Amino acid sequence: MSDTEPAILAEHLAKRYRAVRAVVDVSLRVDVGETVGVLGTNGAGKTTTVEMIAGLRVPDEGRVRVLGLDPRTDRARLRQVLGVQLQHAHLHHALRVSELVDLYRSFYPDPRSAAELLDLVDLAGQRRTVFDKLSGGQQQRLSIALALAGRPRVAILDELTTGLDPKARRRMWSTVEQLRAEGVTVLLVSHAMEEVERLCDRVVVLDGGRVLALDTPAGLVARSGTATLDDAFVALTGKDLEETR
Amino acid sequence: MSQVSVPAPVTAYRPGVRSLVTLIGCEVKMVLRDTAGLVVPLGLPLLILLTSAGSAGGQVVANGRTALEVFVLPLVLAMVVAMIGIINMPSFLAYYRRSGILRRLAVTPASPGMVLAAQVIASVLQALVGIALATGVAFLVFGVGAPADIGVTLGVFVLVMAAMYAAGMIVAAVAPTPNSAVAIGLVFFFLVGALGGMFGGPDALPAPLATIGGWLPFGAAVAAISAAWSGTAVGAAQLVGLGTTVVVGVLVAGLLFRWE
Repeated sequence: MSDTEPAILAEHLAKRYRAVRAVVDVSLRVDVGETVGVLGTNGAGKTTTVEMIAGLRVPDEGRVRVLGLDPRTDRARLRQVLGVQLQHAHLHHALRVSELVDLYRSFYPDPRSAAELLDLVDLAGQRRTVFDKLSGGQQQRLSIALALAGRPRVAILDELTTGLDPKARRRMWSTVEQLRAEGVTVLLVSHAMEEVERLCDRVVVLDGGRVLALDTPAGLVARSGTATLDDAFVALTGKDLEETR
Repeated sequence: MSQVSVPAPVTAYRPGVRSLVTLIGCEVKMVLRDTAGLVVPLGLPLLILLTSAGSAGGQVVANGRTALEVFVLPLVLAMVVAMIGIINMPSFLAYYRRSGILRRLAVTPASPGMVLAAQVIASVLQALVGIALATGVAFLVFGVGAPADIGVTLGVFVLVMAAMYAAGMIVAAVAPTPNSAVAIGLVFFFLVGALGGMFGGPDALPAPLATIGGWLPFGAAVAAISAAWSGTAVGAAQLVGLGTTVVVGVLVAGLLFRWE
């Protein structure tokens, strides 16, 4: 890819599940090293959009490129530079934390060390715990660690901190800030305005499968003539994000 | 936004043998930690061997071979492979699909083929342990003789395992949930088992059913193992039945198997 090519380029994506149009028309450009938040109410098309970008779903229409790679035809190359934390995905339930970390590390040519990954998500003390015995928040943190095992250049994090306690949430925010410092491009699906304001360079607001706005958090607030990002979201969509969680 | 240097081009990379070995190790641990899935397919056939060997061991039926060698041991070995191939392996795959484990692996460099290979290898290892356990007990406790032709016997075992796992892949392909995989696998296992003489031998069945059962994977497996062990020619019907199961299983699974 050239130095001006975006890390993520999505053009006019559309996806339908039988009668439901989950994504109608989504275009998005994320530059290398940028952290972009994806905001929207339930059913806005957030997860379908990021799953099309990750290559887990094939768009009915439109085009995706990640670091210049087509997720459908360049799967092998894309998978080693893309880290994905899925909203709903379990791991081998009877394996210990350390075994899962070793397994996912083995998929990559130059993985982060197991100690670094466990420190990153504060799970060093649970390394011998079986996945099924972890709390929901711990399972989520482990899932995030595994998404970062291969030193991805692009990370897609779907509902990064949903279900985490405040301490774990702040820890995850520090992790994303560390990724930014390393130059990793991050696409962050979130319900939390505070999180988006703190971490994201720009925010894309989705509603009904379309892009309503794409701007910096401050730009969204300014253009809506409101005082906070929460109010800006309500002004844009007519919906309260908190009520749809 | 941080300043970053011009990114390096992405070169193709696929996980190698080390990764496959790690994945197989994880699948083996999953099997070992699934107590019921581990014990039943190894313990139940062994129990049948232990309860039947006393009378069958003293009854010579053909080629100087006892009923234990000609009927009981082939049945027990076919049961081990069938239970693991038709019930256990598909239920694991269905659980992986349902829970999102396959989906999670799909966003790593691990290919679907590698995941499937690791699952099948771990499952085959379990079947080999079951075969070794039953055969070892038959040798050491009940004085069963060695197979007449070890090469033919090993060849038959390879074909039997391929047929049972191919049948299992059909179950994995059509079962929407882990529970349905166990249910379909159990029904299929008992159906081919009953028609293959698992409950009283094929002679106890009406002739048409016995003929059909002899072509199906369980009956064909028992007859083929029995023939190879006692040194008689393995029947063409059994070879065709097992071979057809392999082909049909691969085709059906290839067409219908879904990763999510």
